[in-house]
Amino acid sequence: MRTVKKGLMTLLGITLIGTQLVACGSTSDSAKTTEPAGNDKKETTAETPKDTAKPVEITWWNFPSFQALDGEVGKYEKQIIEAFNKKYPEIKVNLEMITFEAGPEKLNVAIASNTAPDVIYDAPGRILDWAKKDLLAPLDDMVTDEVRKDVPEALWKQSMVGDKTYMYPINTAPFMMGVNKTVFEKIGALDLLPLDRPDRTWTFDEYKKALQAVKEKAPDIIPSGFFAKSQAGDQGTRAYIANLGNASFLNDDYSKIAINTDKAGAALDWIRQGVKDKLVVSGSESLTGGDVNDLFLQGKLAITLNYSPVLRAQNKTLKKAEFEDVLVPFPTIDGAKPKLEPYLGGMAIFNNGDDAKIAASKKLIDFIANDPEWGKKDLIQTGGLSARSSITGLYDDPEYTYAEQARDFYSNPPTIVDGYAEVRTFWFPELQRVLLGKATGKEALDEFAKKADEAITKAKAEAGK
Amino acid sequence: METRVRKINPNVLRDWFMSYLFLLPAFGFFLVFVAYPMLRGIYISFFNYSLRKFEYVGLSNYIDLFHNEIFIKSLWNTSLLVIITVPVVIVFSIFVAMSIYRKKEFARSFFRGVFYLPAVSSVVSITVVWGWIYHPNYGVLNYLTGLFGAEPISWLGNEKTALLSIIAVLITTSVGQPIILYVASLGNIPTSYIEAAQIDRASSWQIFRKIIWPMLMPTNLYIIVITTINTFQCFAIIQLLTSGGPYYSTSTVMYGVYEQAFKLGNFGMASAMGVILAVIIGIISTIQFKYFGSDVEY
Repeated sequence: MRTVKKGLMTLLGITLIGTQLVACGSTSDSAKTTEPAGNDKKETTAETPKDTAKPVEITWWNFPSFQALDGEVGKYEKQIIEAFNKKYPEIKVNLEMITFEAGPEKLNVAIASNTAPDVIYDAPGRILDWAKKDLLAPLDDMVTDEVRKDVPEALWKQSMVGDKTYMYPINTAPFMMGVNKTVFEKIGALDLLPLDRPDRTWTFDEYKKALQAVKEKAPDIIPSGFFAKSQAGDQGTRAYIANLGNASFLNDDYSKIAINTDKAGAALDWIRQGVKDKLVVSGSESLTGGDVNDLFLQGKLAITLNYSPVLRAQNKTLKKAEFEDVLVPFPTIDGAKPKLEPYLGGMAIFNNGDDAKIAASKKLIDFIANDPEWGKKDLIQTGGLSARSSITGLYDDPEYTYAEQARDFYSNPPTIVDGYAEVRTFWFPELQRVLLGKATGKEALDEFAKKADEAITKAKAEAGK
Repeated sequence: METRVRKINPNVLRDWFMSYLFLLPAFGFFLVFVAYPMLRGIYISFFNYSLRKFEYVGLSNYIDLFHNEIFIKSLWNTSLLVIITVPVVIVFSIFVAMSIYRKKEFARSFFRGVFYLPAVSSVVSITVVWGWIYHPNYGVLNYLTGLFGAEPISWLGNEKTALLSIIAVLITTSVGQPIILYVASLGNIPTSYIEAAQIDRASSWQIFRKIIWPMLMPTNLYIIVITTINTFQCFAIIQLLTSGGPYYSTSTVMYGVYEQAFKLGNFGMASAMGVILAVIIGIISTIQFKYFGSDVEY
């Protein structure tokens, strides 16, 4: 009996101590959360001689930004780390691959629970939002004057908050439309595409003629795509409507939504009519960008509206039908220069309060972006163009040559607007309202602008606190 | 006055200790994984908790929610989901169970297997298959309706059909367990009661209503409560099939919790939604226990 009692008391004692420890840990965590992360921030340079010899362990979370090597996701990243460790053996890099579907949510949970990774390769949409919330370490000390001048202003706008750089820009590509060239060749309508023009610009009417030709001469093929189910790929629909209506998504000082013009509304109405006329895929309100691109890869869709050189490279092995795909810009009412949203990929560092880790993370980023051997290899593995204007001709492919040229059409991307994460949640429900016939294009865009403007104002106010 | 000292039997004391010792791990898990998160969730619901921001806002999250038309629509959609799904699952399960429980063992096993298969399969896999069935361009459902001359329908893209389409999937994944339980419960009802009623020339409906249904009450209670809770918490099917659309017509409270917490990082608001959902489930379960709870001895 005594033994049992003693054992029981010991167990209870351990449990109580354990509970206290957990409680203490929890308290300190809460304390951390109530204080702005940036308060104790110290800017750390990539070259901190004191830290170079000390072993440091950092965590790198990576979306599949690099194409899978031998079909294995993360294999290429492991090779980067191996090469990096030859140069910096004292830095241990723990790689975790995340997906575009579940990764953002995983990151939100990690940040909220103070377990964010040290390094992330991502796009500005999320990175700028984290930067505005003071979660990231500034990278200005690792951007040389040469790099600063070599990266176009439009890309810096997506990498900076105020005068501080939070994302090291690496690869880019203009978001455009993808065309199944083989279909147009087969129906003898190749001349309806703007491929013979150096900048490939075209008018809305020319575009409609091309769609009509597919509908009439290749009835098994859906002329064009559209989608409004979930947020992924929203840049495709945004740029499509903005260009069809010769509008901009944001006003000049990024303080308001500007896409709610009459012409953009009319473009949206045309899309709804296009579904009825079988020029646009039916059921688009229940399709995602991925669903539409799948139709394109299966050879069942003539023109998809969410395509880029990066996606084109990634899709090479995913095609279910043999066809040649080419890039074209979004058409505009009068054939004016299109406004293309730039995709930008780059790296950022979470400020987890450890200067040694921040310094080590900067070395990793520098290695990935600028190592004489790996910098170029890494770019090619992303399938994108270099963020730097001076690095061109990476690929022997006319579509890349055209994509380089199409960078001239870069416009201010919506990702830089305050409250972007919330703004984008209002977009697809309004498109769905039009597709369901519950609102005209103009009404829906006005409603979107109203909600989005409120979100922008709220986010600006919070940022100013 | 003589004080009587009550002696405690050492064996009883040892049994008492041992029983609590065995309960301790389960209780520990309950504290860590159920009680603490629940209380923490309630606590967080009074804060503006977005990523690393943690600011006390009192009842503000709750007030905002009840002024938010999307949340009100989500509440309505959730109610519709429960009001339609639960009765259909109960009626369908009883119907199937009544049809098979007197069949031969082989047939009974076969049908139980057929209906139980969706319950043991991954909801995600089943939902993906349904996504293809409902596909507006290449779905088998449109193909079948097309054989009768019907125009293709965007099942998940139409406000009138989207919620019903989700309910259909929810029902197929929910009926497996109730059918198994009803078949087992029906098998436990003494045949003498039914035979006696038959001798008294009671109709099938009278036998069901006066004998079978009352004797199924404990099973009914369990199935109704569990199906109601599961339906309230339905998430994967909505996320995969419609993402709450079109125009919030399939958005539910649970989906709203996910959007607020994991997409927007508003954990305070998401917690408030979770608390409201928990309160609703608690009230409805209490009512169900009151009206369906009864002691039946076979």
